[in-house]
Amino acid sequence: MGMKVEEEWKKGSAGLLILSLLDGQPRHGYEIGKLIDLRSGGALHFHVASLYPLLYRLEEHGWIQGRWVEKPNQRRRRYYWLTPGGQRMLALERKKWREFAGAVGRIAGGEHA
Amino acid sequence: MPEWKLEIRKHLAGLDLRPEREAEIVEELSDHLQQSYEELRARGAADDEALREVMAEVDWRNFVPELQISQKAPSPETVPEGAASSGHLLEDLWKDLRFALRMLRKSPGFAAVAVLTLALGIGANTAVFTVVDSLILNPLPVENISTLAAVNSSEAKKAARSGDLEALSYLNLKDTRERTRAFRNLAGHSYPMAVTMTDKGEPRRIFAEIVTANYFETLGIHPSLGRFFLPGEDQTPGAAPVAVLGYTAWQSRFGGVSDILGQTITLDETPFTVIGVGPKGFKGVYAVFGPDLWIPSMMAEQVLPAEQRNALGDRGLPLFTGIGRLRPGVTLREAQAEMNIVGAALAKEDPDANDGKTLTVTPLIEAAYGPERQPVVLGGILLMAIVGFVLLIACSNLANLLLARASVRRQEIAVRLSLGAGRMRLIRQLLTESVLLGLFSGVLGFLFGYGGCRILESLRPAEYAQNLADLRLDESVFVFALAVALLTGLIFGIVPALRSSRVSVAEVLKEETRGAGRSRGRVGLANTLLAGQVAASLVLLVVAALFLRSIEREYLIDPGFQTKHLALVMLYPGQAGYDRVRTEQFYKQTLERIGRIPGISSVSWASNLPLWGRKETGIVVEGQEARKKSEAVQAVVDTVDLNYFSTLGIPVLEGRDFTQNDRDSRTPVAIINETMAAKYWPAQDVLGKRLELPHGNQFLQIVGVVKTTNYQALGEPPQPCVYIPLRQNFTDSMILYARSERDPSTVLAAVQAEIHSLDPGLPVEDMRTGTKVIDQALWWSKIGVGLLGVFGLLALGLASVGLYGIMAYSVNQRRREIGVRMALGAGERSVTLLVLRQGMTVVASGVVTGMVLALLLGRVLSRFLYGVSGSDPLSLAGAAFALLAVAFVACYLPARSASRLDPLVALREA
Repeated sequence: MGMKVEEEWKKGSAGLLILSLLDGQPRHGYEIGKLIDLRSGGALHFHVASLYPLLYRLEEHGWIQGRWVEKPNQRRRRYYWLTPGGQRMLALERKKWREFAGAVGRIAGGEHA
Repeated sequence: MPEWKLEIRKHLAGLDLRPEREAEIVEELSDHLQQSYEELRARGAADDEALREVMAEVDWRNFVPELQISQKAPSPETVPEGAASSGHLLEDLWKDLRFALRMLRKSPGFAAVAVLTLALGIGANTAVFTVVDSLILNPLPVENISTLAAVNSSEAKKAARSGDLEALSYLNLKDTRERTRAFRNLAGHSYPMAVTMTDKGEPRRIFAEIVTANYFETLGIHPSLGRFFLPGEDQTPGAAPVAVLGYTAWQSRFGGVSDILGQTITLDETPFTVIGVGPKGFKGVYAVFGPDLWIPSMMAEQVLPAEQRNALGDRGLPLFTGIGRLRPGVTLREAQAEMNIVGAALAKEDPDANDGKTLTVTPLIEAAYGPERQPVVLGGILLMAIVGFVLLIACSNLANLLLARASVRRQEIAVRLSLGAGRMRLIRQLLTESVLLGLFSGVLGFLFGYGGCRILESLRPAEYAQNLADLRLDESVFVFALAVALLTGLIFGIVPALRSSRVSVAEVLKEETRGAGRSRGRVGLANTLLAGQVAASLVLLVVAALFLRSIEREYLIDPGFQTKHLALVMLYPGQAGYDRVRTEQFYKQTLERIGRIPGISSVSWASNLPLWGRKETGIVVEGQEARKKSEAVQAVVDTVDLNYFSTLGIPVLEGRDFTQNDRDSRTPVAIINETMAAKYWPAQDVLGKRLELPHGNQFLQIVGVVKTTNYQALGEPPQPCVYIPLRQNFTDSMILYARSERDPSTVLAAVQAEIHSLDPGLPVEDMRTGTKVIDQALWWSKIGVGLLGVFGLLALGLASVGLYGIMAYSVNQRRREIGVRMALGAGERSVTLLVLRQGMTVVASGVVTGMVLALLLGRVLSRFLYGVSGSDPLSLAGAAFALLAVAFVACYLPARSASRLDPLVALREA
């Protein structure tokens, strides 16, 4: 396995990751975990015991909402939607993330170059 | 398929999740694991290899704490940065509120019982406080009532008691007004008197007050429409026929039309112009009964009955109660001193009318009730005390519920403390919950109180409802209810909240079993509260039972006249413009016509309504004239026609009834009752003795003695009475008494039709049966008993709900112990008995305490009771039995459920 991103960083950005993935499309938990894995090229990985408590916490806050959905020839699955509150939170978090990443980039990146 | 579920359940075990929630999480997570597994298998991994890889990937170490955070409380670290600093407090409050709502929604049973219990207590208090506020604390909506006083005439020699106060004559009032310096304004008003108002040809009986022009100004009130009387409208007798309508009368009798000003209404044949409408809520200065309209004193002759027509010129004819506004800085005592001087001067100037009399000043708030003030105030205090008891029961119920709930939530609270929740924050959250409960109950209680007041208002006798005081549910009542609710919520929220937050975290988390020993102290406190509730409800039940027995006795009182076959109608022929000749003819014709109606056996006329006897002071007994100055002879005086005594069933004991021969030309005669005979002519032959009435000018010869009856109140002590014959003492407003052979209500319609055919212009609204007269006389008692009964039952209901709740809770706490007992062979019966004994011990101690309290209270109450002692055994035993029976049911239900416990389940759960 490649270098793992520091646990603390992962924790801090997890909410943003999940909200971003749900932007515009409802997904179930396995799909979310899979997509994070895929899109980060394996750098970010959530397993069952870390992903679901996160989802439940976001749901508790009212930013996402889970519903059991039954599809033909498939076990019922819990799909998560972004709520209007989550939409606002995502916009806010994205903005903060861009500012943060920009700031870090200007300092850390500048030295590097 | 691999056993994911078992594995997940294993890790969830440490959390106290609801079963449904746990099942959902298990389902979701195992689906996830299954998908990973299927994917690995699809990529070609072997079965056990895929299984191992899926399991190895999961790190369960942080699973439980992470879940706890998300399940139990939104942890502060997930609050987005920046949102926390601004408006922190408000946001916290909002969160607390939402959290509290969620917690209450989670236990709807607890919330419903708590809110309902408290709401009933608050509702009862709101209703009673409204009554007390409207009738006792702020009965009159006038300006600065403390500087207003009533001025009346009284006997100079007697200590002034409000019961002996008499009105002033117009001339005396006028002279007093001219002389006073203590009063800035002195006005006068009559009592509300029945007059006939003819509206579109339809005659109606309404109540009018004759007032001086400065009456409204003195009270400091303002018209809601138009204007009040001008000084010029009260100077020349009969010159200005103007009237001011009461607000309620305007609304109900005239539909609240805006063009009422300038309209003409006919009062006793005289057309009056409406010039104004009084302020809302003002119904004169008597607290309980008020007029529909006011007319200026100079119009008195137009509406007074024949014998009072010269009220404006006769100094001996009492009509007005003075209402004075004290000059700033002048005390009531100074005003009284001045009135003593004025009174003495009046007596000296006009000894014929004023000898032996003086003027008495009473604060208006006291005068508003007359002699009934004391019982009204005492009744109000008693009612407040009783609903206070009900509220106490409700509060202790709530306290018990919160205590029970707090101990159930110990684990939850400990978890939250261990996760770093601040103690203050926790207390605030718990407090938010109980304040929220208090608020809900306050709102609901206010609605209950409002409904209660509407019901009370609807119980007013319909004939007088418009003239009786309204109940004003105003802001002060709402504030009162809300304050009580919030205070209760705070007090009983704080104690359990403090106790809960003081728990030692480690200890509670370790505490796997529901320790019976630990909750003993809490159950002890709960039991004390419970015994108190039982005692309080027993006291209320006993009080209700005592008054119920008392009113039962009152209905059995023999008033001295028959009521079962009696119908009566008030008639005011004078008000229809009849002169004396026509009125006498009308009296005669009516007797003939009504007497012919089938089912009516005898008919007569009398001036007094039963139990509304008019008392007169200053009767002169021949040969005892000296008594006049020291102690005036007082007696009820009733003008009656032939056959009165036989119609009412009053036996003539000596001498004879009035006859056709007792006419003007012959010697004037009178009949007295045995009480009068025994008091003023003891051991003498009364027949042939003579007496003189206060406003008469000749001695009347006593021709008969009749049995004493009740004249002013049911069950009153015997009082003297003088009957005089209608044919020698003309008056133009009389009451028709008819004796029926069967139920009098069957002849009412026929009586009405006959009178209507004699003259369609006479109002015949006031028809009642003898039984209804008794009913009305007992109206206040009936309302009182009804209220006491309602509150007694309410207390019983609340206490039994509390009892049931605490028993069910304690059975739940003792499940393990009961399970052990049953496992060791205890039968259903012995378990039932065990629980029953525990509950009934508390009940019994409450009943004993309640009995002692009830006996003590009974001593105080005995003066309000009729024919029943304050320690009436039947009331005490009945109330105790009712309470024990209900308490037994409340204990038996949890006991039964305990006995049906499956010991295996109970032990496993524990």
